[in-house]
Amino acid sequence: MERYDLLIVGAGAAGMAAALGAVRGGAARVLLVDRGDRLGGVLPQCIHHGFGLSYFHEDLRGPDYAARFAALLADAPEVALRLDTTVLELSADRTALLSSRAGLERVAFRRCLLCCGAREKPIGALDVAGTRPAGVFTAGQAQKLVNLGGYDLGRRIVILGSGDIGMIMARRFTLRGCEVVMMVEQAAAPGGLARNLHACIEAYRIPLRLRATVTQVHGAARITGVTVRDLDTGAEELVPCDALVTAAGLIPERELARALLHGGTPPDWLGFSGNCEHIHEIVDSVTVQALALGERMAKM
Amino acid sequence: METRDVVIVGAGLLGCFAARALAAYALDVTVLEAREDVCTGVSRANTGVIYAGYDTQPGTLKTRLCVAGSRGMAALCRELDVPFSRCGSLMIACGEKAEAVLRRKYAAGLENGVEGLRLLTAGAVRAMEPNLTDRVTAGLYAPGAGTLDPWALGIAAFENAQANGVEFRFGQAVGAIRRNPGGFLLETDTETYQTRAVLNCAGLAADRVRELVEAPLVRIFPSAADYLVLDDLSRGFVRHVIFHEPEEKGKGLTLVPTVSGNLLVGPTERDMAVAPGATAAAGLAELRALCAQIVPDLDLDLVIRSFGAVRPNPYYVREEGGVWQPEARGIPSFTVLEEGGLVSLIGIKTPGLTCAKPLGDYAAQRLLAHLGGAARRPDFDPRRRGIPNLSAMAETERAALVLSQPDYGRIVCRCRGVSEGEVREAIRRGACTVDGVKRRTGAGMGRCQGGVCMERVLALLAEARGVPASAVCKDGAGSEVLHGTL
Ligand SMILES: Cc1cc2nc3c(=O)[nH]c(=O)nc-3n(C[C@H](O)[C@H](O)[C@H](O)COP(=O)(O)OP(=O)(O)OC[C@H]3O[C@@H](n4cnc5c(N)ncnc54)[C@H](O)[C@@H]3O)c2cc1C
Ligand SMILES: Cc1cc2nc3c(=O)[nH]c(=O)nc-3n(C[C@H](O)[C@H](O)[C@H](O)COP(=O)(O)OP(=O)(O)OC[C@H]3O[C@@H](n4cnc5c(N)ncnc54)[C@H](O)[C@@H]3O)c2cc1C
Repeated sequence: MERYDLLIVGAGAAGMAAALGAVRGGAARVLLVDRGDRLGGVLPQCIHHGFGLSYFHEDLRGPDYAARFAALLADAPEVALRLDTTVLELSADRTALLSSRAGLERVAFRRCLLCCGAREKPIGALDVAGTRPAGVFTAGQAQKLVNLGGYDLGRRIVILGSGDIGMIMARRFTLRGCEVVMMVEQAAAPGGLARNLHACIEAYRIPLRLRATVTQVHGAARITGVTVRDLDTGAEELVPCDALVTAAGLIPERELARALLHGGTPPDWLGFSGNCEHIHEIVDSVTVQALALGERMAKM
Repeated sequence: METRDVVIVGAGLLGCFAARALAAYALDVTVLEAREDVCTGVSRANTGVIYAGYDTQPGTLKTRLCVAGSRGMAALCRELDVPFSRCGSLMIACGEKAEAVLRRKYAAGLENGVEGLRLLTAGAVRAMEPNLTDRVTAGLYAPGAGTLDPWALGIAAFENAQANGVEFRFGQAVGAIRRNPGGFLLETDTETYQTRAVLNCAGLAADRVRELVEAPLVRIFPSAADYLVLDDLSRGFVRHVIFHEPEEKGKGLTLVPTVSGNLLVGPTERDMAVAPGATAAAGLAELRALCAQIVPDLDLDLVIRSFGAVRPNPYYVREEGGVWQPEARGIPSFTVLEEGGLVSLIGIKTPGLTCAKPLGDYAAQRLLAHLGGAARRPDFDPRRRGIPNLSAMAETERAALVLSQPDYGRIVCRCRGVSEGEVREAIRRGACTVDGVKRRTGAGMGRCQGGVCMERVLALLAEARGVPASAVCKDGAGSEVLHGTL
C-alpha cells in the first residue's frame, strides 16, 4: 500500500492551494486526487472575469486562475496527482479507497484534507409542484454544459434564484443570444454580489422579480413554462419558457467524512477546506485559507 | 404475412411478466410498446410495496394472487437478481376508528392465509419504530410485506423474456385492431401484425385499446397521487413499511424505507391535475403536514425529489343519453376480460406490482386455453443476471472486475457511486434515454439528482447510439435534454 503524508480529496482551487501549502510546510509525499479529468474544480467552467482580484491583484478568468496553480504544481515533485480518480471512502484506519480505470486501490495517509467543493440543491428539494420535464437544470450544471460542452439549453430561459452563479449565467445566456425572460428571487434583495448585479443583470436589463418564486413547472416532454407567484400579493402568472435554471444554493460536500464523525466532530487527522468547509463567494479567500491549512496540516 | 401466436400490447410490469410466462412455451410472442422502453407508465411511479395480502376482499382473484405473489417474491427476486427488502409492514392506528379497521384487516388477513400477522399494542409499535408519534394506539404487523424498486422487477422480467425468445418492439403504439379469420390484425403507425391472440396490458389506456374491437364495458377513471423522496441520509429512520390508517376520512400516510436507503413518502389521493403525472402543491403540502403529525422528527429538508402518479381506477360503465357513465361502485377485484382470443387486464392498480408474476402467469394460462395449449420449451431459463452492482460488492471482487473491465473503475454518478461500466451495460441492455439509464443503474437518483452525472450519461448515450448529444432524450419522444448546439 502506498503511504502519504497528506491525502487531498478534490483538486479545485482549495485542493491545489492546499497541496502547495503542504509542500511549503515540509510534506514530502502529498497525494492530490480529483474525479474530474482536469485541475481546477469549477474554475475551468467559470470563463468570466473576476478571479484573483485580491490574491493576484489582477482580474483573471477562472481557467487562468486555475492555470497559475497548475503551473506551480507541475514544479512540485512532492505532489502526486491523480485525475479521473474518485475517492470512494475514507476509513478510520487512515486509509482511503480510490477508484479509477487503472484499478481499485487503497492508500494510507497520515492526514487527510477534504476539498470536495459543494453540490447544488436540485429542483426536487425545492417546494415546486408540476411536471418533471426535460429542460430543467441547476446553474452550475448549466454553466458546465454551456461553457465546456458548447451546448444550448433553451431560447427563453427563467432563472430561479439570484445568487452569483445565477447572475453570471443570466449574462452568459444573453450573450449567447438567448432571452432570459425573468430572474425570480424569493428574498427582498438579490442574493449575489453587487458587482454581479450591476454587470450581469442591470447592464443587460434582465427582468428581476424580487419577493417571488416558481411554484409550478409545466410541460410534458420538455418544459413549456413555469408559474411564478408574487409572495406579497399571492398573484400567480404563467411565464412561458423552454428552460428553467435553478440557482437555489450550494451545500458543502462532506459525505466522505460522514462515517468518521463522532457526535459531529471529525477525527483530528481530518480537515476541510474551500467550499467543502463553508461556501466561499470569492476564490481568493479559498486560496488563502487552503494554503494556510495545507501548511499547518503538514507541520502537525 | 407472418402470423404470431400472441401479441402483447404494453410493456409495463404486467406485459413483461405475461411475456416471461409465455416464453416458457413453444409460442411466437411479440410485445408492442408505444414508448421507447419498458416500465415507463404506472409501473415506474408507484409505492413499490409488496403487500402481504390482508387489504383485499377474501375469496377474490386479487387476494389469491396477492398472497401468492407476496409469498413467492423472495424466490422470484433471487431468480431475477433484483434487490428485495422483506422489511415487513406495520399498519398503525391513532384512535378507535382506525383500530377497528386494523382488527378487520387482521381478520381478513387470517382468512386470506397471510402468515405471521400480529396485532400490536402501542408500546410494541413504539419499540419497533421509536420515531413514530406517541399518539399511536395500536398496530398490525405483517412480516411478509416488503419493498423493491418496481421498475427493476419489470426490467428484469423484460430481459428474461427477451433472452427466452420473446420479441419486444418499441415505438409501436397500437392504433387499430381488427378481427379476421386468423385471429386479429393490429396496426401501428408503421407496421401491421397478424396474431392468433392478443393480450391487452396497456395500463392507463387498456380500456381504449379494448374498445378498438369491443363495445365499452369497463372504463378507467384516473385519479392522481403525489410522493416525496428523501435523501438516503434518512436510512433507518423507519425500518418497516408504515401504513398510517387515518382516524378521520381521508388518506393516511405511507412511509417506505426503499431498497436504496431512501425514504418514500406518499401517496396522496386526489383528482387528476391537468397534466398526468404532475404533482399538485396541495398534495405535497398534505404529505408534509401528515409527516409532521405521524413522524414529527422527520427532517423534511432531506427531500430530494417529488413525483406524481396516476391511478387507473376501473368502473363498469353503462350508456346514458349517449355518454358512458360509471357505476357508483368501483370494481373490488382485478378486471380480466376474455373475449374470443382478446384478453384484457384493465385498471390493474394496487397490488398489481405484488401480483405481477402470478397475474402474468394467469393471463398466460387464459391465452394458452384459447390457443388450445402449447408445448413447454425445454430450454426455458427463468434466471437473469442483473447489471453488476458495485456498491454491493466486496472490495476484492470489485477490484477484480475493474481489472478485467476498466470502465467499472470510472465513477460517473457521485451520489450512488455508479460507474461508467454500469451505464454502458445499461445502454447495451436497452436503456436509450437518461431516465432509462437512471432506472437501470440508479445514476441520477441520489441527492444531487443528476446534477453531476447527467452530462456524462448524455455523452455515453450519444456515443453508443451514434447521435449528437442534442438528440438524446430525458424520457419519451420530444424530451430532448438540450436545445441544440450553438
Ligand atoms: C459558477 C461560479 C462562479 C463563481 N464566480 C466567482 C468569481 O467571479 N470570482 C471569485 O472570486 N469566485 C467565484 N466563485 C467562487 C469560487 O470559484 C469557488 O468558491 C471556488 O472555486 C471553490 O473551490 P473548491 O476547491 O472549494 O471547490 P471546487 O472547485 O468545487 O472543487 C472540488 C473538487 O473536488 C472534486 N471531488 C469532490 N469529491 C470528490 C471525490 N470523492 N473524489 C475525487 N474528487 C472529488 C470535484 O471533482 C472538484 O473538482 C464562483 C463559483 C462558482 C461555482
Ligand atoms: C399510485 C399507485 C401506487 C401503487 N402502489 C403499488 C404498491 O405499492 N404495490 C403494488 O403491488 N402495486 C402498486 N400499484 C399497482 C402497480 O403499480 C400496477 O398494478 C402496475 O404497475 C400495472 O402495470 P401495467 O403493466 O398494467 O401498467 P403500465 O406500467 O402503465 O404499462 C402499460 C404500458 O402500455 C403501453 N401502452 C398503452 N397504450 C398502448 C398502445 N396503444 N400500444 C402499445 N402500448 C401501449 C404504455 O406505454 C405502458 O408502457 C400502484 C399503482 C398506483 C397507480
